[in-house]
Amino acid sequence: MLNGIEDEEKWLAEGIAGIQHYAFFMHRALDSNNLREALKYSAQMLSELRTSKLPPHKYYELYMRAFDELKRLELFFKDDSKHGVSVVDLYELVQHAGNILPRLYLLCTVGSIYIKSKEAPAKEILKDLVEMCRGVQHPIRGLFLRSYLAQISRDKLPDIGSEYEGDADSVMDAVEFVLQNFTEMNKLWGRMQHQGPGRVREKREKERSELQDLVGKNLHVLSQIEGVDLEMYKETVLPRVLEQVVNCKDDLAQYYLMDCIIQVFPDEYHLQTLETLMSACPQLQPTVDVKTVLSRLMDRLSNYAASSADVLPEFLQVEAFSKLSNAIGKVIEAQVDMPAVGAITLYVSLLTFTLRVHPDRLDHVDQVLGACVKKLSNIPKLEDRWAMKQVVALLSAPLEKYNDIVTALTLSNYPRVMDHLDIGTNKVMAMVIIQSIMKNYSCISTADKVEVLFELIKGLIKDIDGADVEELDEEDFKEEQNSVARLIHMLYNDEPEEMFKIICIVRKHTMAGGPKRLPFTVSSLVFSALRLVRQLQGLEGDIVGEDMPVTPKKIFQLLTQMIDSLSAVPSPELALRLYLQCAEAANCCDLEHLAYEFFTQAFVLYEEEIADSKAQVTAIHLIIGTLQRMNVFGVENRDTLTHKATGYSARLLKKADQCRAVYACSHLFWVDDQDGIKDGERVLLCLKRALRIANAAQQMANAARGSGGPVTLFVEILNKYLYFFEKGNRQITSSAIQGLIELINTETQSDSTNPDSISDAFLASTLRYIQFQKQKGGITGEKFESIKL
Amino acid sequence: MAMRRRTLLKVIVLGDSGVGKTSLMNQYVHKKFSQQYKATIGADFVTKELQIDDRLVTLQIWDTAGQERFQSLGVAFYRGADCCALVYDVNVIKSFDNLDNWHEEFLKQANPTDPRTFPFMLLGNKIDIDGGNSRVVSEKKAKDWCASNGNIPYFETSAKEDINVDAAFLSIAKAALANEREQDIYFQGVPEAVTETEQRSGCAC
Repeated sequence: MLNGIEDEEKWLAEGIAGIQHYAFFMHRALDSNNLREALKYSAQMLSELRTSKLPPHKYYELYMRAFDELKRLELFFKDDSKHGVSVVDLYELVQHAGNILPRLYLLCTVGSIYIKSKEAPAKEILKDLVEMCRGVQHPIRGLFLRSYLAQISRDKLPDIGSEYEGDADSVMDAVEFVLQNFTEMNKLWGRMQHQGPGRVREKREKERSELQDLVGKNLHVLSQIEGVDLEMYKETVLPRVLEQVVNCKDDLAQYYLMDCIIQVFPDEYHLQTLETLMSACPQLQPTVDVKTVLSRLMDRLSNYAASSADVLPEFLQVEAFSKLSNAIGKVIEAQVDMPAVGAITLYVSLLTFTLRVHPDRLDHVDQVLGACVKKLSNIPKLEDRWAMKQVVALLSAPLEKYNDIVTALTLSNYPRVMDHLDIGTNKVMAMVIIQSIMKNYSCISTADKVEVLFELIKGLIKDIDGADVEELDEEDFKEEQNSVARLIHMLYNDEPEEMFKIICIVRKHTMAGGPKRLPFTVSSLVFSALRLVRQLQGLEGDIVGEDMPVTPKKIFQLLTQMIDSLSAVPSPELALRLYLQCAEAANCCDLEHLAYEFFTQAFVLYEEEIADSKAQVTAIHLIIGTLQRMNVFGVENRDTLTHKATGYSARLLKKADQCRAVYACSHLFWVDDQDGIKDGERVLLCLKRALRIANAAQQMANAARGSGGPVTLFVEILNKYLYFFEKGNRQITSSAIQGLIELINTETQSDSTNPDSISDAFLASTLRYIQFQKQKGGITGEKFESIKL
Repeated sequence: MAMRRRTLLKVIVLGDSGVGKTSLMNQYVHKKFSQQYKATIGADFVTKELQIDDRLVTLQIWDTAGQERFQSLGVAFYRGADCCALVYDVNVIKSFDNLDNWHEEFLKQANPTDPRTFPFMLLGNKIDIDGGNSRVVSEKKAKDWCASNGNIPYFETSAKEDINVDAAFLSIAKAALANEREQDIYFQGVPEAVTETEQRSGCAC
């Protein structure tokens, strides 16, 4: 094969050399005004184009060389003062050239001048030329010859407003000429595949495609003829062209020419001739890639629609959508072997089209989705990755267009399309949907829509039966579930009844999620429910009696069940937090027994499930903090709970933790509100207990390491003393504070080998605070005065 | 001395599909404009005669297909070009970004004698759209590109409103003329055919 190319290069070089050689002599003849010689040498030069050895690409190079030379020859011919022969006679004279190909090239060249001279009507000369060219039936040579004819005649067509315009109907003459040239060229082109033995067929196909633009160019010329208005296009040009396209029965030509028609003629014409264009499609050879043709047409029209709102009524007027939709249906039906991805791509194009042109017509959108469902139903299992991608594109398009998932949710076929996705793709699509909601801050506000939504995203919500248990990357899984959690917050309705329904539906779906998913989804839902509780609480004052079916109690029941489900994970720390949240909410609703119950649950978890010491510290502080804010409890209940809290605090593993938890408990006995408990004694008891623990910690440190631990704990306790002192707890005396300060100083000094900058700084700023308060004057100043530093 | 021959100058117009190459040519040669988009197939030329100083020049302007699939025969027509006009749409960034490709491809395929001095021209078209509000390529950006590609002259045009079209093509013609080296057949390996009137300054080998 390489030899073949080398040979071709050689022949091309020889051809070029030949042309240059004869051109040299031709130029000499031109310069000496020697017509006879000019004709002789130009004919010889043109004979180089008689070669059969070159493939189209290389023939083109040769052709261009000859073409450039013919330009100069044309100039000479034009100036009859140089050669003294009239153009009419010249036209006759060149026909004496020996071989037909040079003869016809020369004829066309003279013909060009003949038309320019206007000694005869353009149409007659053109007709003569286009007929004469039949003399060359070799495909490549004939195509280039006719291409030359097309090139030199282009600016001489009897178009409207052209200087060559004849009488009425001259545009028709121009069109006829081009159509005839086109038809002949298409025939020549088509003949190529029938030449040569089977094994060079592939080479032939490649060569054929190289030549396609020579044929297509004629369509371009037609589109540029001004006289070809919509009327003429509709009545004459398109039907004739399509006739040729269909009749040639050649799939390569048909595909290319359909593409040309679509690209070369304006959008407006296509809209007005949609039916004609579409009717050609089923008549094409079955191997023609009609779907690409149709897709390109729709893309083109979509862009047209997007370019200006003024053009939209036209689309409606010609019923563009239904025509395209029908055409697509027919094509898909006819081409049974079309792979799924092909059909779906068509639907994507059609959907894009309708979203651009008639975005308000949701029925169109649904129709396209419905057609897609039908196609997908016929496929046992869609495995093609590209097809899947296209389905995702199909489903994403309405989301992007409407910026509002709610609209997409009303499309009855939307969930049906999703049903046909495999699990992986379903999840991808579910994420797309969630992202769309988040991006647009869409709020889904009715229970039915929530139901539909959760059906759509079920791939994320639970394990689907029959799904391959893919090893999902942990990061990905987290991201998925976090998305679902965020989504839950977007489900909202002001109406408590509707909101309750929504919560129930979400619960129903998420409960099926299994232990891996629950920790993510339950929290969101719990907070959603608590939000509703608080809303009801706010309304309660205005509602008379218990007419309302949705009550905080009902919701709390639901909440309990939801949090209980976390035991299956198990996730005790999360459950504990959530119980405390519920307790707070119950507190707001004045539901003492419920609040107590929640605390009980929290404590049970603490006792039985939370064994990790760090987790215990966190948990107990949470409990203390929440309990501190409770104002709904009666004395007994409160006592029980605080007793529990302090007890657990004192039993934490590390002394330091114990100390801190215990002094935190001091706040349980002092609430700063007007009606809050202010039990000064019990506060002091806590603080003293904390001190004892701190002391013990110091002793232990001494024993274990030979030196004291940090005095931070003492400073912390000191700060608590100061806090309560300032708040007016009479049990905290200034002398106690002084004593504590002395103690700290002692401890610090005795441990001067291990200076601790943090506790030093802490102490220093505490003392500075005392000074500061002293200087304040007034009651505060007096109070602090008593503390001697 | 009287001009003995007409000068034929070959200009190639390149650029992405839809930037307005055909429209610019139609405006220049026929003073016409159509809003409708019609793709160009293959390559074809129009001629326009103009006077530059004391010379009568025929400008052969080659309009090309911007869409790649409509260039099936290749670019043999680049050969012998005297100037290349690159066109982009000031409202479409991709058409500007692709200029490097067009520039490079042309030099590769046309293979001019001296690529560094081969005259190019840059046309930023469609400046009329939306009163200039949808422009994404600033004049400065374009000029910077021109400067870094051999100080190519730059024109901002509108084929629709006929802004700067004549000026641009006149400039193209002048640049082509300045670069033109007549491929005089007399000087291609046939030294004995030199006549005294054809003596030219410079190398006659």
